Amino acid sequence: MIKLKEISKSYKVGPTTVRAVESVDLTIERGDMVSIVGHSGSGKTTLLSLMGGLTKPSTGRVLVDGTNIWTLSDREQSQLRNRRIGFAFQFSSLIPTLNAIDNVRLPATFSGALVNHGRATDLLELVGLKDRIHSLPGMLSGGEQRRVALARTLMNNPEIILADEPTGDLDEETEADILDIFRSINDKGVTIVIVTHSRAVASQAKKVLRMNKGHLEVNGD
Amino acid sequence: MRRLGLLYLAAQNLRRKPFRSFVTIAIVGLAAGTLFSATLLIGSVHQSLEVGMERLGADLLVMPEGSAESGETALITGTPTSFYMDESVFEQVKAIEDVEQASPQIFIESMISSQCCTGHVQIIGYDPETDFVVGPWLEDNLNRPLENREVVIGSLILANKGESVHFFGTDFDVAGVLDSTGMGADESVFMSMDAAYEMALNSQEKAETFLEIQPGQISSVLVKVAPGTTVEQVAQRIKAGVPGTMVMTANDLSQSVTDRLSGFLRGFFVLDAIVWVMSLLTIAAIFSMIVNERQREIGLLRAMGGSRRFVFRLMLTEALMMTAVGGLAGILVGGAGLFIFKAVITASLGVPYLWPPLWYFGMLMAGTLALAVVTGAIASLYPAVSSSRLEPYAAIRQGE
Ligand SMILES: Nc1ncnc2c1ncn2[C@@H]1O[C@H](COP(=O)(O)OP(=O)(O)O)[C@@H](O)[C@H]1O
Ligand SMILES: [Mg+2]
Repeated sequence: MIKLKEISKSYKVGPTTVRAVESVDLTIERGDMVSIVGHSGSGKTTLLSLMGGLTKPSTGRVLVDGTNIWTLSDREQSQLRNRRIGFAFQFSSLIPTLNAIDNVRLPATFSGALVNHGRATDLLELVGLKDRIHSLPGMLSGGEQRRVALARTLMNNPEIILADEPTGDLDEETEADILDIFRSINDKGVTIVIVTHSRAVASQAKKVLRMNKGHLEVNGD
Repeated sequence: MRRLGLLYLAAQNLRRKPFRSFVTIAIVGLAAGTLFSATLLIGSVHQSLEVGMERLGADLLVMPEGSAESGETALITGTPTSFYMDESVFEQVKAIEDVEQASPQIFIESMISSQCCTGHVQIIGYDPETDFVVGPWLEDNLNRPLENREVVIGSLILANKGESVHFFGTDFDVAGVLDSTGMGADESVFMSMDAAYEMALNSQEKAETFLEIQPGQISSVLVKVAPGTTVEQVAQRIKAGVPGTMVMTANDLSQSVTDRLSGFLRGFFVLDAIVWVMSLLTIAAIFSMIVNERQREIGLLRAMGGSRRFVFRLMLTEALMMTAVGGLAGILVGGAGLFIFKAVITASLGVPYLWPPLWYFGMLMAGTLALAVVTGAIASLYPAVSSSRLEPYAAIRQGE
């Protein structure tokens, strides 16, 4: 369902060009659970952003269900991100002025859904934060913020989840909880791509991809 | 359940830097408030001139030489004055070509004592035979001429219809109260000239202070010119034909008021223009800061499905909210300030004052608010566009 064709992304930094992602060809099938590993700076985050249309490739095409997403209008791209893709970011990504439940509801607002309180509450319960519904992000620990963000990722029932080190700074127990959640939604057919440094997380994936200096090496299980 | 609409998100954003938002709102408020109150002041003065001049009903006034300043002040603000000339002036003026109507008046400075209070007032004695100022009002409201012991009073005189007032030892009944004009007439007491002469005569025995005027003395002659001629032409003829007098036209009066006002307001508007430019620059600077501060958040909103249009509208909404609140606050404070200091301002400027009709208020409020909001829109336009153009990934990464 996501196809990267001859994708490259490079940045001009002063006189030098950083090739963050180079000539990557990749297909992610519906229902896949894929993990991407690799050294820091190898281009994992860039690759994930290319998959979700958050950044434009320097060359190559990104196809979602056969459609080149860079031929879509901004509105169509936004709708795609809103309704079909769920991002989980590497670092804290909550809006600081909104409390936990409002952060979780935010994606629903963009799709014009009015009745979303119940679902947001359920999701906060799923991540174990039912009693922190009205807390502002500043009042939550780093791990709690991550879990609220995960609830937000799930809010619009995405078909594809793109998660960038979602358990990076969490304790093992919380990591296991979150992994459970990913596995159970993957069982329901949701496609999941996880960038991770954790062996435990990578071992859950059906396929492990390794990034190395912008290049992709496949070591499928 | 509350909707997470644009307005809510924008309001939450404005709250996170309360002091900064407050300062922006205050600057816009200052700009809007000064504009609103200054324009309202102009509007009120003009309203007063319009009503007052219509009440005066004359195209020009003839007064004794050297009385120009005090006469003008008396007419505009009601500061009592007195000066006299012989009634032959009236006959001479009446005989001038193109003088259609002429009517003499006599001015008397007096203390008033009524049931409630005492104070300085201007008594104006008019000639019922020729009068065209008080007469029409009497016809409409009283339906008969004034009796000898009756007066009609301006709206600012602290007495009511039916009460009795006391001048130079004589009691008068208040037969009616005139509508407000904002001008000197509001602080004047009108009686017939005969009543005034009689009051003067009686003051010799009844009053502590004598009133030394004689029948045959008048203070001014009000003139209406014939159609088809200009007021200036007739004024010239009177100046040439009636020695010992000066002529003041209704235009002179308006012009004098306008001059007093514009001298004061010119500096005010220059200052206000500077404050508007300042608010424009402040908003532009603040929104450029906001775009930088919130890059990451903007990127996150885009990643969640917020479109460029949404980000643009969010920024614009924040700017419009601040300027609308600032504009409203300015209008309220400026309006209240004018209301409270009206007396001080008009007294120190020597201008008449009458609150304009409601539609004028409405237009002025809408106009001021619109200007504030447009300022916000213009100032935030560039930051709003550039924030909406950010690539989500770059924005998220740079904000890290
Ligand atoms: N916006 C950018 N500007 C310049 N260089 C960038 C930018 N984004 C990423 N890079 C560079 O691209 C390379 C890959 O980055 P990234 O995708 O974040 O790697 P990873 O997530 O694997 O650590 C790094 O060398 C990084 O410095
Ligand atoms: Mg990374």
